Amino acid sequence: MFAYPFLWMISATLKPEIEIGEIGLWSSNFSLRSYKDVISKIPIGRALLNSLFVSSSVTFFVIIFGSIVGYALSRLRFFGRDFIFGVILFTMVIPFQITLIPMYILMVKFGWVDTYLSLIVPGMISTFGILLFRQFFRDIPQALVDAAKIDGCNDFQILFRIIWPLSKPVIITVGILSFMGSWNDVLWPLIVIRVQKLMTMPQLVTIFKVGGQAEGQLGAQLAAATLLAIPIILIYAFFQRYFIESMATSGLKG
Amino acid sequence: MATITLKNINKSFDNIHLVINKFDLEINDGEFMVLVGPSGCGKSTLLRMIAGLEIPTTGEIWISDTLVNPVPPKDRNIAMVFQNYALYPHMSVFDNLAFGLKLRKVPKSEIVKRVHKAADILEIKDLLDRKPKQLSGGQSQRVALGRAIVRDPKVFLFDEPLSNLDAKLRVHMRAEIKKLHRQLGTTMIYVTHDQVEAMTIGDRIVILNDGVIQQVGTPLEVYQNPANRFVASFIGSPPMNFLEGKIENGSLLAEKVSINLSEAKNIHKLEGENVIFGIRPENIHLTEDGLELPVVINEPLGNETFLHLQAGQQILIARIPALESIQLGDRVRVSFDLSKACFFSSKTEDRLFFT
Repeated sequence: MFAYPFLWMISATLKPEIEIGEIGLWSSNFSLRSYKDVISKIPIGRALLNSLFVSSSVTFFVIIFGSIVGYALSRLRFFGRDFIFGVILFTMVIPFQITLIPMYILMVKFGWVDTYLSLIVPGMISTFGILLFRQFFRDIPQALVDAAKIDGCNDFQILFRIIWPLSKPVIITVGILSFMGSWNDVLWPLIVIRVQKLMTMPQLVTIFKVGGQAEGQLGAQLAAATLLAIPIILIYAFFQRYFIESMATSGLKG
Repeated sequence: MATITLKNINKSFDNIHLVINKFDLEINDGEFMVLVGPSGCGKSTLLRMIAGLEIPTTGEIWISDTLVNPVPPKDRNIAMVFQNYALYPHMSVFDNLAFGLKLRKVPKSEIVKRVHKAADILEIKDLLDRKPKQLSGGQSQRVALGRAIVRDPKVFLFDEPLSNLDAKLRVHMRAEIKKLHRQLGTTMIYVTHDQVEAMTIGDRIVILNDGVIQQVGTPLEVYQNPANRFVASFIGSPPMNFLEGKIENGSLLAEKVSINLSEAKNIHKLEGENVIFGIRPENIHLTEDGLELPVVINEPLGNETFLHLQAGQQILIARIPALESIQLGDRVRVSFDLSKACFFSSKTEDRLFFT
């Protein structure tokens, strides 16, 4: 029941246009025509690479910066620490739509419109990531941090050589959530990227679908959507075990 | 090796309550000093300040000739063993031991040599490839000791290192640590709440309560000549017995009981005063013509028996040879070895004079 719509979508991409309206999954005329149409009409390969590059970069920086901030908020003692944490938490309640215009103006002023920077830099800090890292790091015994200090570690060494190896669950959780969030984002790329060669996959697929290039062919539209979903499904399948494990150990509910 | 000097140390976490209050202490080169006191008395905070993990609010900490207040933990040349071992779970035993040396850029061959030497001393050579989760409590504690040894520090700090071990292993490891001290001759500071551990392991003991030093001395000194009621009650198991009352005509008049103390040295100086009379369980003897008291609890331990005797409103515990066949409810006569009795002020609870 759960998988049927998805299987139907894949089946529809392989059927001739005329058979797509049928509810059944099987057809004797399966072909890759819809996929060929998509590939011939839009640079989906390039968009795939763009998406991989952008999402990987965002994920990398979210993990790095999130864990550094989480470490500072959980392990360092400094004036105003809890206030800063409160401010960071508060930003979670501000909807993205409110910051959209100011953010776009910033991108224009920086001259980052139509560059990868506009896709990556605004996503490099995740409040949710910081929150998860902070909570997870608080549960790591203080004695380990103390032992590392006495052994000669500075704060970065403590974070990356002692705490990181013990924090795989939360790193994977933050990583998957960031990657999925960045991968599925359509609105922001639509605003800051106008050059086709820099477009991300969901952006390109959306434009393909609503911009008329699909010429009303449902099979091609579904094929583009399938191509969009496949990488994220593969990544999820690969990390599924860790993800479920980490959801349990990081105190997150799925 | 190093001396440690603590000068007028105060520590407060909230700038209101002092966890450590005007603490002065000198620890000699190569000495095994034990800090002992009840939970929350500030002993671990003190150790963490020596380690550099906490900063004193005021006061100076000297390691040999260096004022170490501004020196970070890694540069103090100290090693610390933690209560929960604090072994890095993702590293093998070898890497746990070698980690501090790697950070100090010690040559690889030297690291291997030192790790194997420490492993030899602690007999953990066959554990070097294991991860901490594959070790028992005793093995983990040895590895934690090993991690301290390989660094060849000037000072060893132990923060209740045996608390997580079972009673049998604790006795064994206690002896091991003492042996290690003899072998290395390094200055060691050991924190514990267990007075038996403190008595058996230390060259000298510091007894702390509410962040204030109560007494510093050798184990026998603090046992035999406690400076105040707190020390007398904290050191010794069972603890010293106390009876509060007034001295009149050479006798202690406590509630519903009177004890003739005329043979106690200097007792005339206390005439008419309210005092706390203290006597250790082993200094209460069964006699034929002493004070008659009922037995309310009888605890035979095999080699000796603890008798709980009702003296007025108070209970006195006597340590007597196991051979005595005394039943619950019996009335026994006891005498006190007054040459070893202590008298404390009812007001300040300080020792009044040393008999």
